[in-house]
Amino acid sequence: MNKSWKSYDTGAFFDELITSTGRPRVVARRAVNLLQSLSQEDMVARREAAELAIKEMGISFTIYSEGKNIDRAWPFDIIPRVITGRDWSKVSRGLVQRTRALNCFIDDIYNKQKILSDGVVPADIVLESGNYKPQCAGISPRYGAWAHICGSDLVRDKDGKFYVLEDNLRVPSGVSYMLENREITKRVLPELFENYSIQPVDDYPSKLYSTLASLSPRERRRPCIVVLTPGIYNSAYFEHAFLAQGMGAELVEGSDLFVDEDDCLYMRTVDGPERVDVVYRRIDDDFLDPEVFREDSALGVPGIMRAWKEGNVAIANAPGSGVADDKVVYAFVPDMIRYYLNEKPALASVKTYLCMHEEDRNYVLANLDKLVVKPANESGGYGLMVGPHATRAERARFARLIEADPRNYIAQPTLSLSTAPTYIDETVAPRHLDLRPFILSGKDTWVTPGGLTRVALVKGSLVVNSSQGGGSKDTWIVEGSR
Amino acid sequence: MRMLSRVADRLYWMARYLERAEDTARLTQAYTHLIMDIPEGAEPGWEILVQILDAQPIFGARARAYNEQNVLRFLIADEENFSSISQCIKGARENVRTTRDVLPDEVWENVNELHLYCQEWAEKSVGRRNRHRFLDEVIGRCQMINGLMMSTLCRDHAYRFIKLGALLERADMTTRVIDVGAGALLGDERHHSSVDPLIWASVLQSLSAMGTYRRTVGPLVEVNEVVDFVFLEEALPRSVKFCLNGIRKELLPLKHNREALRVLDRSRRSLSRFHPESSTREELHAFIDAFQANLITLGSVIDETWFSLDKT
Repeated sequence: MNKSWKSYDTGAFFDELITSTGRPRVVARRAVNLLQSLSQEDMVARREAAELAIKEMGISFTIYSEGKNIDRAWPFDIIPRVITGRDWSKVSRGLVQRTRALNCFIDDIYNKQKILSDGVVPADIVLESGNYKPQCAGISPRYGAWAHICGSDLVRDKDGKFYVLEDNLRVPSGVSYMLENREITKRVLPELFENYSIQPVDDYPSKLYSTLASLSPRERRRPCIVVLTPGIYNSAYFEHAFLAQGMGAELVEGSDLFVDEDDCLYMRTVDGPERVDVVYRRIDDDFLDPEVFREDSALGVPGIMRAWKEGNVAIANAPGSGVADDKVVYAFVPDMIRYYLNEKPALASVKTYLCMHEEDRNYVLANLDKLVVKPANESGGYGLMVGPHATRAERARFARLIEADPRNYIAQPTLSLSTAPTYIDETVAPRHLDLRPFILSGKDTWVTPGGLTRVALVKGSLVVNSSQGGGSKDTWIVEGSR
Repeated sequence: MRMLSRVADRLYWMARYLERAEDTARLTQAYTHLIMDIPEGAEPGWEILVQILDAQPIFGARARAYNEQNVLRFLIADEENFSSISQCIKGARENVRTTRDVLPDEVWENVNELHLYCQEWAEKSVGRRNRHRFLDEVIGRCQMINGLMMSTLCRDHAYRFIKLGALLERADMTTRVIDVGAGALLGDERHHSSVDPLIWASVLQSLSAMGTYRRTVGPLVEVNEVVDFVFLEEALPRSVKFCLNGIRKELLPLKHNREALRVLDRSRRSLSRFHPESSTREELHAFIDAFQANLITLGSVIDETWFSLDKT
């Protein structure tokens, strides 16, 4: 065995590949054995090959730092994460159920608001949220689907059980990296794929295309689909271009589109205006239409909301979907599943304390050292506090923030995020990770096999976001393993 | 195939910038050789290169003396001169960066590498020592990128707008190269007539047309024949006639092409009516000026017809 694995210690955590007695899990055995048989030089060579592939393929993400946009190479760990097909099919069913309930909820909120009048979800937390867009009231998109592309963040606790941490229903990103990670692994560790039957991921762009095409207001063999990007300086521009190319769709900016007097959306082409059927937009609601939302937005398209309301164009995700993407609303998802589907939630949520409730708030303030406190409305891992890792001063600061604006804070117990072997500084060490699968909802609902695994490269850290020093791993769903 | 106006605009400018970089490199290369061949005292000045590119105002703001060092820095590496070789390559790269989804991957990789090469070498290649190698490298890499596009691009709108950009830029630059020849001799009575053939030979060299000229016209380089050949030889890929025919071919399948074809035909008519053998050098210069003005009009018509985002 390569010595870099010898001191591997899973500690008190659930490790994805290694059991607490230090042996590879059944599903990962062949992969781990092979990796352990590689020499130190070989491991370094593979990692360098991966770095080179990333550079050549131009896989990058943009971070904003010190007033500048910096294009960074995508951080990737060569050791894949392996999940059994059986475990995954349970998770996948749970995700489908959850997404259906969330779409029912959004559709209800912008129409009859039954769940509010029945008192299942308190009306004020929904209607007073900045994510509730009154401009969307009365609309009912095709198939009742609002959040067509959902990225849910999952974690595994110390017993190996999957929990949903949050649902990203606005403009979730990361799926292109899921595809590229597989591509890189195939290049640099081809022998790992022998004797494994791994569910392929690379049909995502065609699944996305079918989902979007099913939303088209016009019955056409090939509807006109565009990917609307804020432009080259957006951190996910690489992904926007990647997906447009993968779907054979046009990558457009706001200035390429206009709404004519017939309330239809057109793009400016060299042959003249061409009507657009479906917009996969990667800009936030607030910037979508200066006639309706932020007047100063130069990224959006004046009148696009009009075209959407008239049913002349489909927008994915539908404007206003963010109403269900809120860490307070999150606490009610299990209730939604029971209310709309009359089913038992198949996937666990994390116990959530709502600081707006006095009883919860008192508990949170008394237990700040044990909890993770999150603002209700931030993404990218910004503005949160991990109690056990926080200083006394930080905890005091969060206590003041909570008391000043209780609606905006929730708290959850600190989960023991699972780990996986990660190649760091020529040694293999456990690092914490999460998983973001993507769920597509149109005429049908479909879940990616696996998803994007993000890994916190800093020892002990639980923050996996790439903007904050996180990396990623290829994620395998392996069929037929006992 | 659909093509967004914005994407067409960027492809067209990518092609123009690449062509401009290559042509400026060719011009500079040929002129440097020429200067070395001409006897001390009879050589024309370096300012001609700036005049040819109509860049005197920008140059004037950058440097006072039109000496070799200043002019070459201006043409090769100057960041304020948007037509310098390094700025053209930078412009091409910016345009490819945002149209990668319609181009083969290798185009981006090669344009990006050429940009990095210029970043490293442009400033160091102003002097005669590295200049030749640098210019050769730029010409060679531009040709490789063009070859890559010609051999891989689907013959649709993307290809069409790239061709339009390249041909329009080349037609413009070829007339400018002839202007160098005419300008170098214009109103200058000092030189020996033995210098004439050297200058016209360098014109042919800068257009990679020397061999074809010898085979088609003959071994003697004479002013009238050269001008006639470079303007009107349909088979020569850098002749003005060839470029105009090519532009016409690419314009024909486009919608809304009437105005552009009208302006183009104006250029084609003026070209067929022009007879270099019966013109003085002043007349030649005046003809080129008018011809270039019409090409600029054609550029604006293309812009308004297919790229403009203002109109709906």
